[in-house]
Amino acid sequence: MAKKTLYDMKPVKGYEKKLEDFFPMERRCSNCLGCKFVPFEKIKSNRFGRNCPSVWYYNFNTYSARGRFQLGQNIIEDGYVKFEGQALDAIFNCQACGACDVACKVTRFNLEPLAHNIALKERAVEKGLAPVELKAMAKQLERQKSMLPDAKKADRANWAKGLKLKDVSGKETAEYVFFPGCQYAYDPILQKKAQTYVKVLQKAGVDLGYLGNADMCCGGRAKQTGFRKEFEAEAQANAAAWKKADVTKIVTPCADCYHAIKRQYALLGIEVEVVHAVELIADLVKAKKLKFKKNIDLMVTYHDPCHLGRLGEPFEAWNGTEKKILNQIHTWEPARPRYAGTFGVYDAPREILEAIPGVRLVEMERIRENSWCCGAGGGCSVFSPEFSDAVASERVTEAQATGAEAIVTACPWCEINLTGIESDNGTFMEVVDIIDLVAKAL
Amino acid sequence: MALTKEFYRALEDIVGPRNVSDDPAVTENYRCITAQSSAHSGPYETRTPKPQAVVLPGCTEEVQQIVKLCNKYKVGFKAATTFWAAMGYIGNDNSIQLDMIRMDQVEVDAKNMIATCEPFAIGATVQVEAMKNGLNCNIAGVGCSSSTLAGSAGWVGFGPSSISMGIASENLLGVEWVLPDGEIVRTGTLGSDGEWFCGEGPGPSPRAIFRGWTGTAGSMGVCTKIAIRLHPWPGPKWIPTRGAAPMYRADGLDMVRAYTVCFPTWDAYAEGFRLFYEADVCYLAHRQFNMFGRDIKTAMVEILTHPEKQFRDLPEVMEDPYIKAQNDEMKIDVQVVVAGLTERDLDYKEKAFDAILAQIGAHKSEYYLQPDIEDFVKLYLLRLARKNYNYTLCSSYEGNFGLSPNVFVAAPLMEEASALKREWEQTHTGVAAVGGDSDMGSASGIGGGGTTGWEFFVHFDGFDRDSITDSCAFIDRTQEWMIGKGLGADMGRWNADARKPDGYDYSQEEHDALYAGLPQPALAIYPWKIREAFNPNHLTGTYMKTMTPPEVKAAQKAKKTQKK
Repeated sequence: MAKKTLYDMKPVKGYEKKLEDFFPMERRCSNCLGCKFVPFEKIKSNRFGRNCPSVWYYNFNTYSARGRFQLGQNIIEDGYVKFEGQALDAIFNCQACGACDVACKVTRFNLEPLAHNIALKERAVEKGLAPVELKAMAKQLERQKSMLPDAKKADRANWAKGLKLKDVSGKETAEYVFFPGCQYAYDPILQKKAQTYVKVLQKAGVDLGYLGNADMCCGGRAKQTGFRKEFEAEAQANAAAWKKADVTKIVTPCADCYHAIKRQYALLGIEVEVVHAVELIADLVKAKKLKFKKNIDLMVTYHDPCHLGRLGEPFEAWNGTEKKILNQIHTWEPARPRYAGTFGVYDAPREILEAIPGVRLVEMERIRENSWCCGAGGGCSVFSPEFSDAVASERVTEAQATGAEAIVTACPWCEINLTGIESDNGTFMEVVDIIDLVAKAL
Repeated sequence: MALTKEFYRALEDIVGPRNVSDDPAVTENYRCITAQSSAHSGPYETRTPKPQAVVLPGCTEEVQQIVKLCNKYKVGFKAATTFWAAMGYIGNDNSIQLDMIRMDQVEVDAKNMIATCEPFAIGATVQVEAMKNGLNCNIAGVGCSSSTLAGSAGWVGFGPSSISMGIASENLLGVEWVLPDGEIVRTGTLGSDGEWFCGEGPGPSPRAIFRGWTGTAGSMGVCTKIAIRLHPWPGPKWIPTRGAAPMYRADGLDMVRAYTVCFPTWDAYAEGFRLFYEADVCYLAHRQFNMFGRDIKTAMVEILTHPEKQFRDLPEVMEDPYIKAQNDEMKIDVQVVVAGLTERDLDYKEKAFDAILAQIGAHKSEYYLQPDIEDFVKLYLLRLARKNYNYTLCSSYEGNFGLSPNVFVAAPLMEEASALKREWEQTHTGVAAVGGDSDMGSASGIGGGGTTGWEFFVHFDGFDRDSITDSCAFIDRTQEWMIGKGLGADMGRWNADARKPDGYDYSQEEHDALYAGLPQPALAIYPWKIREAFNPNHLTGTYMKTMTPPEVKAAQKAKKTQKK
């Protein structure tokens, strides 16, 4: 068992980055168009060649990563634009899905479009200029420890009723703490799926516990939407609860929570081992602790959640500076992590699907590090539903083009946002939580 | 000068409210920061003027209505697609910018081997649609992120594939064009019944009128659709790839080979290019990786193909004895793709290619024969997806020298040009010190074995004022050298008389003064007459280099005197 080194609130260098710190990046963006398309060598059709939902939907350059670099320069450095009108619209209508970031890093070693976009949001939030729906969400987070509008803290642990789960907030201990995240904790349909996750893991012999009422929101969505202080408060509270409960390993079925804990908490100096449930299940299948016995005759396509895939890479602490060699060539001393989507969680869910008898996996054009967002990210499904639905519809259309009967995913936000959405041709597609297929096949 | 409410409402009526904006967050983003871009000119803060509005037309009819509206209100306009360089941006304050992003369709007519492309169809998307049909398209050397329409209708379009497919303008068949007064002209395929096609019908070439010299100089309204010729593709329906992001490689392209050829001398290099063309053995040919610089190119490829490596490893990798030896061998080099439609075809081409190498004393680089490296190069050259590596070293670059397109004229000058750059790198810190020679370009165009694209890449930091200033000074120096050699203007100064250093268009009076001393004034007077005929309200910028004819000037002067 890994030695725990919990919350000491010593953010690693780079966490405190302010918008002003992005000036060099704003000036060094080369307007190459890379942030508007799937990496060019991975494009398979004109129809599904785009990668950034924001500029795909709004079309003005301001809504692209390049546009936001210039917007940042126009606002902060040059003062040509103020935090108002379409500037705010462009800043917040970004799913923070990271597709631009990965595409940019195919060729560039010194730009961070996603971090810059979030820094723009944070500055707008600091000025009190976030959309009212997001402000309400942040208020709800503060009061009820969840960003979901109807959530009540007192009901947080209701999802676990009837389960034989150890409550590690008391005296019990467990190897893994199941961290459901808000959607699985509160949504009546998803609560059942959370229970299925627990039952499946328990069936495979995983020593599982939960935090009872001490459980709360990961805060990841607050970070994506620019509410940095609120995110930090959640992270601090979670870390304190984990410390009190002696938590060393967390398993979560939510891609957002996974990313928040793995990447954002790590930036704050909070170190705790976190795995997504699909990683654990894939390992259990490989170890033959879970055996699929039933045939499921279904052709499926898998939707890579942004925060599990390209944004789910392992965190590497870096404390260094820029250095030029050969007169003008930019380098970092020491080597700086590049986060190009290389090491995200892509194979585990596919291995599970391929192990289920009868399930045939067909791939969409935009997959893995180049996956198209479901549309829910960055709070867009809350304050910009038309945009969010259009992005979801684009994904459903792409899924239909594979001939699959269902979309499988491993994130509750994606599941909710893709469900009930019409494709281009006005038809719908079944959206399946991967755990439902797993449970059905056991 | 703000637009009238009436004008703005009319724009909204044409494209819908969500497709037009005069919000500063949008309009300020359609100003080119020239020092940062490859249109590297002017001081640090120079920007092109702010458009009064940005409009996103969705079809040709909307473009036509916008242009007619601009004529009615005497508002300037300019259309662009990728907004990569200053030439796509407006040049005076009383103008609107058309962003053609919504017009992105590609249609392939496999039987006739043509594709029709809207403005925002880029090289990558045109190519993937062509490949589905066993076809391929020429992608200009600037890379697959560029608009096929802009490259074909508005530029020369040399590229790696030009040796077998021709340059972009040679592949241009039909054109649909909204003229500066709002009239729509369709030529070639688009103007016929589709039964046959060609660049133009008999008679004078309207294409030259639209394009002007190298296209952008035409400034003739808005090109809304083109038809281009496609070419055979001896591979699958899309290029299969393997490898972890972002180190992608082509996978399983059995009928395609990629080589790097090392030449013993520049004479052998020029002769090799001639023979490659005459023997018709190359699918693609481009001096590509030398754009990083002669001293570092192999180390750069090594870094770019290994995800764990970064630029900080450059000095160490350069000193690796194997890499150093390989790099030394390929001072004078070219990357080549040989492809066969059948195994027999490929076998013949490989043999012919080897025979040419033997004849001129060249050989294939061992380093680039490694399967993983070869597959990286295949993908690189076929899709031209990584041309953004132009920027990767320092964030900005400028095309420099632009030596003669005739390989036999330019090759003997290469070492002298390289020495000039190497000396600058050693005495100034503003440009990257990469070994002097950073020339790159295509080996040939189909129109003639001697036609060759040449360009030195000068890498500078778009954030560093000193680097910008120093690289500008270097281009001034090479301008002197080029003129001294009788080679014409340096590439970095080609558009110097199209847009002023402050980012604005020249006035007609300023152009008249600039061209007053031309040895052949008709070169600017004739375009003036064309411009007057097609663009009577002068609404589309000054990239068209015009001089008022003396008789018109005299008449204007007389009129003024009379008024007084």
